[in-house]
Amino acid sequence: MIAATAASAVAAAGVSITPTVAQVTPIEASLLVFVVVTALATALARDVLAAVIVFGAYSLGMAALYVFYRAPDVALTEAAISAGVTTVLLLLTLAKTTRIEHEAAFESVDYPAAAAAGLLFVGLAFTTADIPAVGSPDAPVWSNPDVTQWYLSETYAVTGVENTVMAVLAAFRGFDTFGEAVVVFAAGIAALIVLRQEVFT
Amino acid sequence: MSDASEPDERRETIDAEDHVEGTSPPSPTSRSDRLGTTPQQGTPYTESQVIMSTVKFVSPFALTYGLFVTFHGGGSPGGGFQGGAIAAAVVFMIAFAFGIDATRRWLANAVVVGLAVGGALVFATIGLVPVALGGAFLQYDLLPVPVLDPVKYGMEAVEILGIATIVSGVLTGLFFVLARGFNRDGLDASAVSRHANDGTDADRGAHERGEP
Repeated sequence: MIAATAASAVAAAGVSITPTVAQVTPIEASLLVFVVVTALATALARDVLAAVIVFGAYSLGMAALYVFYRAPDVALTEAAISAGVTTVLLLLTLAKTTRIEHEAAFESVDYPAAAAAGLLFVGLAFTTADIPAVGSPDAPVWSNPDVTQWYLSETYAVTGVENTVMAVLAAFRGFDTFGEAVVVFAAGIAALIVLRQEVFT
Repeated sequence: MSDASEPDERRETIDAEDHVEGTSPPSPTSRSDRLGTTPQQGTPYTESQVIMSTVKFVSPFALTYGLFVTFHGGGSPGGGFQGGAIAAAVVFMIAFAFGIDATRRWLANAVVVGLAVGGALVFATIGLVPVALGGAFLQYDLLPVPVLDPVKYGMEAVEILGIATIVSGVLTGLFFVLARGFNRDGLDASAVSRHANDGTDADRGAHERGEP
């Protein structure tokens, strides 16, 4: 839907784009629907366990979507961390809680909150007309010669690895990645402290 | 858990109109203790031949895939972060199939701590050696590597020995720490007494099987 809007906007501007990247394929459309439905179900599910499981399904749908949008590195992370690890950790934590029985499957909708979210959605939807089509060669993020194209053309010569994403993470932005790795490390220590444990296993 | 608290009852009446169909509430004992954790820092665990056989079959491939994603991050999608997470997920699978406590005994704490601390030390060392040699942090081309291309293999070392080890160690550790919960002389005394009489081991096992 978003890509179609953007594609029509680009087409109206007279820019030629490859038709295959501008169209939403049936698989992408069904994935988008799946993601929206699971996101709504996550927000509305009465039972926390059900919400966690549906949230895992949402993450898996997002991971598949990233694959179709040619971001396999992000897809791998989303599938491994969000769909897998986070779901397991949430389930483990839920097992520590007392479960309340619910008659209804869904929460009653909080209408002011829904209205606020709807307004935000409408506001964001208006901006989609100005977003370049997914995969458009004219998208600024892709077509600028100084950043994206430089990394894509020079990465192998400079670093010797083919995966530009990894080169950016480990070399060009290596200091940031060091910070991220230390954050993960600190998260482990923080969990030990919060849970008053001295050993992991 | 027949003791539905008062705020909950109030909500039930509110929701009575959009109640879709008459789903009879399941028996309390079977749904109260989802993943089956008991107070004795343990997980009641029911052997399942299906789960155990599946995990036995799948986990070598999953671990290999995690190592592939880690080691081949320079040439294909992936890298240390994703590969480390997949490797940690293998431990999760083993724990769900063979019991968290059994896996806890099998996996020494020194291994988990060693992975996390060792990864951080390797990353910091690779970053700081060029600084010591007069360069910038993580300036790979100053690494004193004799034969290999220091840039490429310095990056691979950071991904494989640094990030992947930190992520796999910390995620595995988080899993076991969260599975145990609060330290026993910590805050869980009331939760312990509340859970003590709920459900049977078989029920818990069934739910444990149902989760990923």
